[in-house]
Amino acid sequence: MTTQQPPRLEMRRVVKTFGPVVALDSVDLVVARNEVHGLLGGNGAGKTTLMNVLYGLYRPNSGEVLLDGEPVTVGSPRDAIDAGVGMVHQTFLQVDNYTVTENIVLGTDVSGALRLDLDEARKRIRELSTRFGLSVDPDAVVEDLPVGVRQRVEILKALYRGARLLILDEPTTNLTPQEVDDLFGSMRAMVDDGMSVVLITHKIRETLGVCDRMTVMRDGRSVETIERSDTDADHLADVMVGGTTGPGELIDAAALGAVDAEEVEVTVSSVRDAVGVSVQGLVVNNDQGHELVPGFDLEIREGEIVGIAGVAGNGQVELAEALAGVRAVRAGSVEVGGRSMCGRPASAWLDHGVAYVPEDRHRDGILPTASITENLVLGSQRSPGVRRHGLLDWGAAKQRAVEAIEQFSIRANGPATPAGDLSGGNIQRVILARAFARRPRMLILHNPTRGLDLGSTRFVYDQVRVATDAGCAILLLSEDLDEVIAMSDRVIALFKGSRAGEWQKGTVDAYEVGRSMTGLGEARV
Amino acid sequence: MGEITEFLTLMIPAMVPFLLAAQGTVLSGRAGVFNVSQEGLMVLGAAIGFLVSFKVGSNTVGLFAAFAAAALFGLVLAYMTTQLRLDQFVVGLALYFAALGAAGLLYREVIGVTMAPPLIPTLDDYPIPLLSEIPFLGEVLFDHDLVVYAAFLISAGIYWFMYKTRSGLAFRSIGENPKAADSLGINVTWARTWSTVVGSGLVGVAGAYLPMVYTGLYTEGMVAGRGWLVIALAFLGGWRPHLVVAGAAFFAGMEVLALRAQVAGIGIPHQFVLMLPYVATLLVMVFAFRWARQPAFLGRNYDRESRLVG
Ligand SMILES: Nc1ncnc2c1ncn2[C@@H]1O[C@H](COP(=O)(O)OP(=O)(O)OP(=O)(O)O)[C@@H](O)[C@H]1O
Ligand SMILES: [Mg+2]
Repeated sequence: MTTQQPPRLEMRRVVKTFGPVVALDSVDLVVARNEVHGLLGGNGAGKTTLMNVLYGLYRPNSGEVLLDGEPVTVGSPRDAIDAGVGMVHQTFLQVDNYTVTENIVLGTDVSGALRLDLDEARKRIRELSTRFGLSVDPDAVVEDLPVGVRQRVEILKALYRGARLLILDEPTTNLTPQEVDDLFGSMRAMVDDGMSVVLITHKIRETLGVCDRMTVMRDGRSVETIERSDTDADHLADVMVGGTTGPGELIDAAALGAVDAEEVEVTVSSVRDAVGVSVQGLVVNNDQGHELVPGFDLEIREGEIVGIAGVAGNGQVELAEALAGVRAVRAGSVEVGGRSMCGRPASAWLDHGVAYVPEDRHRDGILPTASITENLVLGSQRSPGVRRHGLLDWGAAKQRAVEAIEQFSIRANGPATPAGDLSGGNIQRVILARAFARRPRMLILHNPTRGLDLGSTRFVYDQVRVATDAGCAILLLSEDLDEVIAMSDRVIALFKGSRAGEWQKGTVDAYEVGRSMTGLGEARV
Repeated sequence: MGEITEFLTLMIPAMVPFLLAAQGTVLSGRAGVFNVSQEGLMVLGAAIGFLVSFKVGSNTVGLFAAFAAAALFGLVLAYMTTQLRLDQFVVGLALYFAALGAAGLLYREVIGVTMAPPLIPTLDDYPIPLLSEIPFLGEVLFDHDLVVYAAFLISAGIYWFMYKTRSGLAFRSIGENPKAADSLGINVTWARTWSTVVGSGLVGVAGAYLPMVYTGLYTEGMVAGRGWLVIALAFLGGWRPHLVVAGAAFFAGMEVLALRAQVAGIGIPHQFVLMLPYVATLLVMVFAFRWARQPAFLGRNYDRESRLVG
């Protein structure tokens, strides 16, 4: 061939509005053949919206899409699939009670529509999973699978349909570091196989590790496209936060995910002598009634941050919920600010200044159809600030919401926007705004920066600092080891609901923590 | 004829209205459309089935007319919920009242007030050759009118479609997670529309069967709450066609029992017997709620561009 090959994907001047909200304001995107293309940008920048347009889920107001040089009209996901586009969404789209194979074949092979012969499909799935290193059991029911495996099922869905272009919307947020490495390996295999991949992520390390080129979006526009060879971590960080310089180095290290975050000097510590939270012999069951936390002791001093590092499913959720007063405690005691809290209703915990930022924000964190104002006022509806004559003072509540939107830079069309309409990162901001607004005595943060962009991550860390300066005791549970190490005054490794190791700030070795988390380390309590 | 044989022989045709209406309900329910207008559609089906049979002189035409009329109501339900995204319960209840009104009006317009109520011939029995010769079973199962056979064949057909075909796999996924289905190129609106139209049609046929099977008469209260029972039956059967057959047998058995208790003048007020299906449904829901599971998206509309679902 003499002429140059057209790019795999070209999107031109795409515009998409939701009522008065302009989500995409004339966006261009070019993805070459055989490349991993990073799509970066802050929360609410329009990354997911752009990809939903490409996948036929959103109908754009205007704009053009070309695949391999051919103009295509994508009116529905069917069109996108037929054109060779596959998408893995920010939240899994799976039928929970179907098997892996059933989920994957769903809607394919119209010719065999009147039979249900899945042997052929099973064989294809096995073949694809070996070829791309995505191991799954085709006969497992998806609701029984851990997130990492469900992720692979989503990717296999696209591969099974012969996608030439695969979109991955923040695929790594739920994965362990090992799983992330495996995923990147698979992505490389796909690209070598002739595919193109669009990767949406907020993590600079991931971007640099796997992307060949990247496009940065801001406020519904694409600002620039960068070659991997022309950039480094600092430059990318600048571009992503829009050139504004952020606060301290410590924050940067954590946000950037530097492995040697612990090398950063700690200057001031806000830890006081008074004990903020005292937990003794805490026993908690999981939803199925199994004892997941078999006796946990913990003391957090005022102004101290205790970080819990662990692989998901080792009792973090149960521990966090028990300490937040929303899960029944089987045995043991919890004292907050010197007052025994066990056995009191959740509202008493709230009133006493216990704030909780749960991990599953869609399920536990917000009411999707309620407005931002309503979501912000939840839990503090009894507090004097928003009450008048025994009723809720909606004027005051709205005022608060307006302030929170401003302060936490929530990207939304006013306080009346339903929380469920917000982008993933902005939902998280609403939850954080609610937690911090209470000036809590104890704050439980579970994966607080998951899905947040760089700027917001910094912002959260700043807020955490403000809270500790005010004497708040903080429990930070996170699957992001870098974050735990950089933020915490003390790090505890959690394995099967028990303490598998504990380190003071400055003595933490990431690898040692990693080994303890997986049950390989020697306990050092 | 033995006591049991007689009971079962009566029970089988009594199952038909339950079966047809419940399978119709389950069909659209598995795609996520929760129809609550069954009672009205059955009354309408009974009126139209009767009137058309009376005027045309053919029960078959009457049955098809009842299907068509109820299917039209189903189309309205589908349109209002998939296109306009109105609440399924509200639209369903409105259709219930509309169908009820339409039935009464039609009967009055066509027949008016008469001294002797008009009569249509009841359906003929078609004993199936050979099979009906089998002792006991032949009598119980294979010596009925054609609608009885059709009702069982339709149940089997729906089961086969849902569980033995790829289209059925895709179809059921819509009631579980429409967004997942949509993202795989499955046409949610189309599936919800056809299943609601066909399902409602079946409910209409279920109603039309009533005047054709026992007396040949149409009376205003002849559906007698069966339409509401059908909703309970769908839940009792966990929205699965094969279990619905078992549930229909139970409901029909109760009905026959209540009738006989009344005839025999046994001490128990027959209202108690009439309550039994509801009580049974409640008990099942309480004790076997895992088994009696329902489609996760039952009764909820789907809007592709909204983030509020899923
Ligand atoms: N279905 C919708 N209805 C209303 N508004 C929407 C909808 N989808 C997106 N938006 C708005 O469009 C904007 C862009 O959202 P989008 O989800 O694309 O952001 P994002 O870049 O993916 O952010 P994040 O990193 O937080 O996931 C946001 O302001 C969001 O509120
Ligand atoms: Mg997004």
